[in-house]
Amino acid sequence: MIPNPLALIAEITHRCPLHCVYCSNPLQMAGAKEELATGGWLRVFQEAARLGILHLHLTGGEPLARLDLKELVAGAHACGLYSNLITSGIGLSETRLKEIVEVGLDHIQLSFQDAREGPANWIAGAKAHAHKVALAATIRRFPIAFTVNLVVHRQNLDCLEEMITFIEQLQPERVEIAHAQYYGWALKNRDSLMPTREQLDNCLRIVEAAQQRLSGTMRIDCVVPDYYARYPKACMGGWGRRLMLIDPAGRVLPCHAAGVIPGMQFDNVLEHPLEWIWTDSSAFQRFRGEDWMPDPCRSCDRRSEDFGGCRCQAFLLTGDASATDPTCSLAPMHNVVENARLQAAGQGSASEVVWLYRPNPE
Amino acid sequence: MARPLGSSQPRFAPGCRWGKQGDDQVVLFPEGMIRLQGTGQSVLELCDGERTVEEIVGVLAGRFNSADPAKIREDVTAFLEALQQKRIVDY
Repeated sequence: MIPNPLALIAEITHRCPLHCVYCSNPLQMAGAKEELATGGWLRVFQEAARLGILHLHLTGGEPLARLDLKELVAGAHACGLYSNLITSGIGLSETRLKEIVEVGLDHIQLSFQDAREGPANWIAGAKAHAHKVALAATIRRFPIAFTVNLVVHRQNLDCLEEMITFIEQLQPERVEIAHAQYYGWALKNRDSLMPTREQLDNCLRIVEAAQQRLSGTMRIDCVVPDYYARYPKACMGGWGRRLMLIDPAGRVLPCHAAGVIPGMQFDNVLEHPLEWIWTDSSAFQRFRGEDWMPDPCRSCDRRSEDFGGCRCQAFLLTGDASATDPTCSLAPMHNVVENARLQAAGQGSASEVVWLYRPNPE
Repeated sequence: MARPLGSSQPRFAPGCRWGKQGDDQVVLFPEGMIRLQGTGQSVLELCDGERTVEEIVGVLAGRFNSADPAKIREDVTAFLEALQQKRIVDY
């Protein structure tokens, strides 16, 4: 029997005032004209709650770019979903925050690019940092959970201690220190984003010390990035096992990046019930379970822990979506990851970096 | 952060609350959910930000009148400390 999904990631728009060089949105983004209307989303949230989904992650792009965000949060709350707003904060005033908290927002996750204004705005491709700092103080006055998300990479990891001290002052309950993952725009910028082994070792030491020091005050989550791990990540908790993602146009995907895999058909919530898409659609069945697995995955003891890693990464790095995730040290094509690490180690300083910034869709 | 004291008044941390999964009552928080059973659920239901830990121990001792209050106090404070470290409970 197929278990219920637990969370729905709703990319309600791809529009965004930021241009972060590691954005997880696909290279082919949905335009404003394609976006699902308010009523479409509200119906989907009801279907999601009936399907057993508990958590709704309102994300983008920048979800605040949707002027109906308050109606969407209210609709999610009315059907019992726990609502998370994943945002850059651009477009959020105290008045607007008050409105969405009043209709039932449970949690806000605010992204930061750095502790230092110049480097933060350099990564975001926009003057966003000062607004975020001011907004964090406003958020803390509301009775909602507050998480800070900080993406770390080669260009900011040497300032990690300073960044943790900075985030501590914003007083969130949680901070996610997320290593850039190489899909979409981040893959285009990988050579300038990938940390060195030395940076990673320092990072893990700093995080462990901070976790001890801040225990009970600020919870710090941080995982070893897969390019430097022995085994792949359990991407999305396994294909079609826990999560569904709906893009701005209503197409339902098993993860953020699945659109890169050739031959996939993503069914749309305008044409099919969410339950059918979860249980029966070809996209969700394609890599569900273990039948698709090649060796060494199919005989590996870890296959029920990491589910063979990430299908999108397998395709992006080997050209075959059914291959063992090459970040796995047991993968036949692990050499492509070893080569990427070597290439990163040979990169020059920040002054030589030329970013490909994520554009704003029409 | 230290363990709760007898006079601490535990409550949900901001943005953490009860929810339903089918007929089961679960605790919802930003990264996920936990399904509590038996005593754990009873303890958290008593955490309203007003009752003290000592009062919660008293209520539970009354419910299980054969149990040793010192043992209940130990279990309750360890449970609340674990949830506080996950930032699900404040006291």
